[in-house]
Amino acid sequence: MSHSRGGSGGGRRNRGQYFGHKNSKILVGDKGREVLENINENSLVIKQFRVYAAELDSKHDRYEAVVKLSRDITIESKRIIFLLHTFDKESKRDAVLGEAKTRLDVLAKTLFKSIAQELDGQNPFQYLRAYTAGIQEYIEAVTFYQYLESNKLDDWKDLERSLIYVVPCEIKSTPWDGALEPAAYTSREIRTMLTPHEYILGIADLTGELMRKCISNLGSGDIASCFQTCNFVRSIYIGFLGCVGSSGKEINRKLYTLKQSLIKMENVCYTVKVRGSEIPKHMLADVAIGASNEYAAEDDEGYHPF
Amino acid sequence: MSTNVTSIFNSFQDYLNTEQELREEIRTIVKEIEQSAREILMVLQNIHNENVSEENTIVSEHCTKARCLFEDVRKGYAKLAAVVPENQYYRFHEHWRFVTQRLCFLASLTIYLEVKILVHKDTVAELLGVKSNREEGFHLDLEDFLMGLLQLSSELCRFAVNSVTSGDYDRPIEISRFVNELNAGFRLLNLKNDSLRKRFDALKYDVKKIEEVVYDLSIRGLKPAVPPAPVDSK
Repeated sequence: MSHSRGGSGGGRRNRGQYFGHKNSKILVGDKGREVLENINENSLVIKQFRVYAAELDSKHDRYEAVVKLSRDITIESKRIIFLLHTFDKESKRDAVLGEAKTRLDVLAKTLFKSIAQELDGQNPFQYLRAYTAGIQEYIEAVTFYQYLESNKLDDWKDLERSLIYVVPCEIKSTPWDGALEPAAYTSREIRTMLTPHEYILGIADLTGELMRKCISNLGSGDIASCFQTCNFVRSIYIGFLGCVGSSGKEINRKLYTLKQSLIKMENVCYTVKVRGSEIPKHMLADVAIGASNEYAAEDDEGYHPF
Repeated sequence: MSTNVTSIFNSFQDYLNTEQELREEIRTIVKEIEQSAREILMVLQNIHNENVSEENTIVSEHCTKARCLFEDVRKGYAKLAAVVPENQYYRFHEHWRFVTQRLCFLASLTIYLEVKILVHKDTVAELLGVKSNREEGFHLDLEDFLMGLLQLSSELCRFAVNSVTSGDYDRPIEISRFVNELNAGFRLLNLKNDSLRKRFDALKYDVKKIEEVVYDLSIRGLKPAVPPAPVDSK
């Protein structure tokens, strides 16, 4: 843009300028750029702007760093969820749950800790949007694990507690190995903020996984847990109805998907109940899914098991 | 099992309700601030009026009035600072972002009219009664401040045109110098592809328009012989 003023604009521009070549119209060409460099150094304005530029850059850099971490968290969380979907036999249960648990813990101890360090001393709300996707996916994975493991969910206070880290004051910048030693000298807490909003959105995503789980349970002949999961999702749905309206667009959108999943599950349960005795167990799943027929892969927020 | 879910959602509802109330409170205060901002804007619009003969006195009169009105703004922000919990500035930022940008513009315009220099962020913060740095509490967000400066350039563009209409041929040249410097300053920033960037893209049209005014003056020999003295010493 500055160059466009170059050519013929250079001369007249020059008049308004308060130092340098006062009365000449000779300077043309890259005058525009020159002005930039000329005015610069001794001007207060430019000095101010250098400070502003530094501040903006550091904010953008930090934001990008957090976005990157968030993306890594999303990927790993999706993988964990995929892992949790793989066990259909009771015999594999413990092994799979154990592995999922370990990986979730690693996630909390590494990537989330990096976010906490990145945002240490910052206003977390300013960067919330950078990591909201990652943390929602993580919530989804954690709660899915908890549901499979114990049929209940931790609330956000418990989960947030797991994202608090104690770091020694002195070596703030060193990565996480510092915190593993017992903090003998002065230590303080840093944390990755988890807001109830993110948590609830994660729960909304969880219901999609539960729906899938319900169907696959049916496939493996575990009808009891199919009903149980359906009831569980229904209670979540009721919970969501209580806070719809006052909680923003995103929740309303997810509520719609949630309702679709729930209806699917209810239809499956219905089919099982009505026709369960007519059909051999291993075929039940196909029939039930066929009956609920709304199952279309593309409408459920894209599940990619990487 | 379902009681577990119920209790989670109950506490979420409580959380939402508290947040709702707080937002309501903030909205009320922001409305007051917006009212003051409108008043200041109206006062300062008078600079565009024709036949402003003794313009220095007039300008300072408007500025004094505006400065009085900034008193209300400061009260508003003080209230806001009391309501917004510590360290949650950005949670509710959307509520006052727009009016803050507007006020930054008004503050920078006032200062420009008074002393013809680009205002420093600290000065604006002081005028609004907020802190300049995030660490100190309720502060002025840098991007809001910069947005205000970009609004300033558009206003000055109009002002340049109207000054010529009312026979003041010095001012456009002064404005041209000022806006060019502002433009140079903004070039130092690495802007992301966000709203600030979009607003910045409009700055070049302001620069261009002001240059056209200066050009019109100079080819007709209306341009004052001696360029205005540099004022960067302040």
